Amino acid sequence: MDFSIRAANVEDCKDIARMITELAEYEKMADHVKVTQRDLEQDGFSKNPFFHGIMAEVPEQHKTKEGHTKIGYALYFYSYSSWKGRAVYMEDLYVMPEFRGKGIGKALMSKVAQLGLAAGCNQLNFTVLDWNKSSLDFYLSQGCFDVTANMGYHCMRCEGEALEHLAQP
Amino acid sequence: MNFKIRAAKKEDCKDISRMIMELAVYVKMPDQVKISHEELQRDGFCQNPFFECLVAEIPEEHKSKEGFTVVGYALYFYTYSTWKGSTVYLEDLYVMSEFRGNGIGTGLLSKVAEVAKKKKQCVQLQLSVFDWNTPSRDFYAAKGAQDLTDTEGWHFIRFDGQNLDNLANEAPKD
Repeated sequence: MDFSIRAANVEDCKDIARMITELAEYEKMADHVKVTQRDLEQDGFSKNPFFHGIMAEVPEQHKTKEGHTKIGYALYFYSYSSWKGRAVYMEDLYVMPEFRGKGIGKALMSKVAQLGLAAGCNQLNFTVLDWNKSSLDFYLSQGCFDVTANMGYHCMRCEGEALEHLAQP
Repeated sequence: MNFKIRAAKKEDCKDISRMIMELAVYVKMPDQVKISHEELQRDGFCQNPFFECLVAEIPEEHKSKEGFTVVGYALYFYTYSTWKGSTVYLEDLYVMSEFRGNGIGTGLLSKVAEVAKKKKQCVQLQLSVFDWNTPSRDFYAAKGAQDLTDTEGWHFIRFDGQNLDNLANEAPKD
């Protein structure tokens, strides 16, 4: 199937918001999503964006029954390793179920890797849920390394009241 | 003990680099450190820095036996959660062993949270810790951090070296 990969623009935020919700549902965490289309527009397309996006699009003749041609996306931003230097973090990678198995996910991820290398990064990092076997198998088949399984790295978070309390001057 | 937390300056990079190595030794991975103070200067003090850093300083009369007065640091950067929004990621938090137990680590962590809230309205602070590192896990748990690997099953995944090059080479041509 023919598809194209391109940089996201502000008009894509409606579709990105839609697919963020679809991804959260897939991960069984739909109630965790607080970010709206408007937040994405402000946070991703202002002077100092928090993230960058890549879109996967199919031609009109392959659109979904609801009429969508934007059928996958990747969101990423630059991060830093105090040991290795510049890195890129892929926050989301998603392809709508009816378009999977056609190399679209791989193409999106490769594009993030390519852009990261061009920016001088030497790591591409992301997270995946341990029960998500199909995603984990996909990533492992591409040559990644599970830092949690192999080195015991645990992801931690402070939010809500705990963060408020911490931020008291 | 009297100490001051302040934003790092370019001139602090030699001390930060020294302490990055001390932290790597503490987590038993000194051979993993590949960057020096030069990369830190380039990447942390350019027009669009990759990270920000705070340092903890003590008065001359308390300096370490080697003569250091910069005795701790926190290195962090801003990230994004498509679920929650603006987030700060704490890449490193370190206090030299002889200065621990004086509230310096807490001071650095709190300052990161305060700065992130003020500057970027961050709603989350994230970090990683090794599962065997009980003192650090206890420190963060006491501050209200949740272990997302334990509670939700998140695994941290990485591409680097030849695997990253191979992945990038397969990107569609523009």
